Amino acid sequence: MTSRIRGVSGWVAAVVLAAVCVLAPAQAAVMAPARSSALQIIDDRGAQVRLKHVPKRIISLLPSLTETVCDLGACDRLVGVDRWSSWPASVQGLPRLGGLDDPQIERIVSLRPDLVLVAPSTRVAPRLRSLGLSVAELDAQDLDQVRSVMSRLAILLGQPERGAARWQALQQGIDAVARQPRPAGMPAERVYFEVSSTPYAAGEASFIGELLRRLGAGNVVPAALGPFPKLNPEFIVRADPTVIILPAGEAAALAQRPGWSRIQALRQRRVCALSPAQVDVLARPGPRLVEGVRVLADCLRPLGSRP
Amino acid sequence: MTTPPWITCLDLHATRGPRTVLQGVDLRLTGGAWWSVVGPNGAGKSTLLRCLAGLLPAAAGRIDWRLPAGHTGPTLAWLGQDTPGDEALSVAETVALGRLPHQGWWPWSGGSAQDRDAVEQALVDTDMTWAAGRPLGALSGGERQRVHLARALATQAPVLLLDEPVAHLDAPHQRLVARVLRREAARGRCIISVLHELPLALQADRLVVLGAGRLQAEGPVASPSVHRAVEQVFDQAVQVRCVDGRWAALPCFDADADTP
Amino acid sequence: MTLRAAPAGRAGAWAALGLLSVLTAVLGLGVGSLGWEPPWVTLAADPAGMSLIGDLRAPRTLGAALVGALLGLSGAVAQGLFRNPLAEPYLLGSSAGAGLCMALLLTVGLPWSLDVGWWARLGLTGAAFVGSVAGVALTLSLARGAAHTLRLLLAGVVVGVVLGAGTQLMMVWSGEAWRVMQAFMLGNTALLGWPACLLMGGVLVVTLPLAWALARVLDALSLGEDTARTLGVPLGTARSALVAVLALSTAAAVAQAGLIAFVGLAAPHLARPWLGASHRSLVLASAWVGGLLLALADVLARWIIAPQELPVGVLTAVIGGVYLLVLLHRRRA
Repeated sequence: MTSRIRGVSGWVAAVVLAAVCVLAPAQAAVMAPARSSALQIIDDRGAQVRLKHVPKRIISLLPSLTETVCDLGACDRLVGVDRWSSWPASVQGLPRLGGLDDPQIERIVSLRPDLVLVAPSTRVAPRLRSLGLSVAELDAQDLDQVRSVMSRLAILLGQPERGAARWQALQQGIDAVARQPRPAGMPAERVYFEVSSTPYAAGEASFIGELLRRLGAGNVVPAALGPFPKLNPEFIVRADPTVIILPAGEAAALAQRPGWSRIQALRQRRVCALSPAQVDVLARPGPRLVEGVRVLADCLRPLGSRP
Repeated sequence: MTTPPWITCLDLHATRGPRTVLQGVDLRLTGGAWWSVVGPNGAGKSTLLRCLAGLLPAAAGRIDWRLPAGHTGPTLAWLGQDTPGDEALSVAETVALGRLPHQGWWPWSGGSAQDRDAVEQALVDTDMTWAAGRPLGALSGGERQRVHLARALATQAPVLLLDEPVAHLDAPHQRLVARVLRREAARGRCIISVLHELPLALQADRLVVLGAGRLQAEGPVASPSVHRAVEQVFDQAVQVRCVDGRWAALPCFDADADTP
Repeated sequence: MTLRAAPAGRAGAWAALGLLSVLTAVLGLGVGSLGWEPPWVTLAADPAGMSLIGDLRAPRTLGAALVGALLGLSGAVAQGLFRNPLAEPYLLGSSAGAGLCMALLLTVGLPWSLDVGWWARLGLTGAAFVGSVAGVALTLSLARGAAHTLRLLLAGVVVGVVLGAGTQLMMVWSGEAWRVMQAFMLGNTALLGWPACLLMGGVLVVTLPLAWALARVLDALSLGEDTARTLGVPLGTARSALVAVLALSTAAAVAQAGLIAFVGLAAPHLARPWLGASHRSLVLASAWVGGLLLALADVLARWIIAPQELPVGVLTAVIGGVYLLVLLHRRRA
């Protein structure tokens, strides 16, 4: 009889002990300060990125992410950037860690970052994660995604309210440019924005397209074709854009393309050749889109009203 | 030998890289005969043939050609070892390539009556008429060999140089080749073949025995001194005997013949 | 007698080739950014139709055909010269040379801000042409002349690899070079105009007859160099001439349209079973088949997802590759 009671009490003790072991940490987690679970986002690949504390050492391998981090006031926490990041001037002294597809993994690890920011299109993230680093894969193709990247980065930096504030500032900057008065009675421009000479164009669905729309211009490439479609040149000739915007390298040879000399933009010489710096500003979906909008607005200013 | 020699080698030396392969070869080759060059591996047989064909320049000495007067067209036809061929060309087209020395280089030349007759004759001689329209890739190794022989015959040159012409052929076809070469020799050509197969080589008219890069013996196939040279150059591994009225090379692999 | 009669099927094959060419030409004039529309309808209905067809579609289709013809010709010459059914036009370092020269130009840079239109256009295209020829010249000098085929082949591979690495390096350093070289390496027929057609036509008019005149040399070479020499082929001159044909044709094609893979390799194999293996006909057939293949691929590239386009190299691989698979299967069966 006593052995049975001892057996039963042994079981009960085990169950109670197990319950305590399970429930106590849960209680602790519930009562823990909200800050530790707030440093958590879902990145563009659907992975959960959770940081234990506010990151003090950040590496960014995408120029637009570098600029967004600096815009959010965490520039001093960057310890390494990729080859192409060039703004602001302070990042130019940081260690260069390679490009989008060939980052220097050893160097990244040796810099002991708390957070690594990469584009979703690289293969480096799983490797870095397997080495124990926290990696967030973020990128934007339209303005809404730009807002999302800003807010998620702000969360990871421990300043969630700052993300919304910077987005507002960006919106206001864009609006300020867009609000500049257009001569009344002018029809909306039809813009063709060429990204590369294959030709790849920026359509309505891309962030460039959205900026153009804010400026009141139309895009010859409808949203149905996707953000960056590869087009038949005949389509562009048929669409007869009034303004063409493209990198300076290809601008010189535009009239040589068969049939393009008929296009209105070429006949009226409304071709906007972007310098490499201007291309950078427009190619990076980040805080500098304000400057990008200014570049686009300059291109759209009709002949005669230019200084 | 009353006929003047067609090809005369005087003190011929040939090298392959740093190695001297042929030394001091003096040879007089006449037409109307089938000459068989024999010797062990590395004796320089193929090198000699290549020098005669003009594919390998002599390091020293010289080779004089003096064909009978009134001869026009190509002087020699060459059949090398393991000739590659375009698998997609037909047999007839491959054999017709042998007529190239007679034709111009323009794409439309060729196809004269003489060319067609030569090709047909060559196909008949090598028993390949049945395959005239087939692509080369559809034939076996032995059949391809015969196609290349037909190509060499189609050139109708006075001198025919053959390097291992029966390498992939079975006995009946070896016999066919022997008959062809005999007939060509009887027609007055100078046939020079390098043969590993001693029994076949002994069906020729004259033997040229090479050993260690030098000419060891040269003479009619029936000559006893030539037989002794053959046996000596092959280190007594063969014996040349007359069997049923024909010369045969009997293998002599007795254990006591080469005691270590 | 089998020696005399050319297979009756061959005449039929040439006729079929002609018919397909006409069909492709009509398709090429009718397929635009709105998909297919018979060209005569476009001419009647659209006031800009003449310009669309005459300025855009006609030169593009003809240009694609010319690029394909140059590549097909080079492929046949390469396969005959190297006696290798896997040989293709870019073997002697021509593509690597073109790529490196273009990348150099982009990295070192022309003054892009100047509006010197034709110079800029000539710049990249001219650079590709010059680089292509220079690549072959480098291969020749490495192989110490065209005397030994195997050495030529090895030198070509080495040059291709080394110059290719140099191009990659430059692409890593310069973002501009990266973008342009990516487009170059995929090949592009979208912007071919009449000047490009004229240039390529001029090169074809020189190289095609020259290669055809060397047809019997190529046939003789198939028997091996020893036999060819005994048949009277002037090997040194012949090889140099063939390498020149290869270099010029490939350079012209690469300069105008970038690297389009597979046409040079596949065209001779597609032509041989139907149109004869003797180089007398193969040289012409290979050029024709190559032109047809690329023109058709170009039409399909702009038709399938109009107004968007597929990369033309993908379609040449699909069309040519599927057909070769069918041929292989039939052969084995």
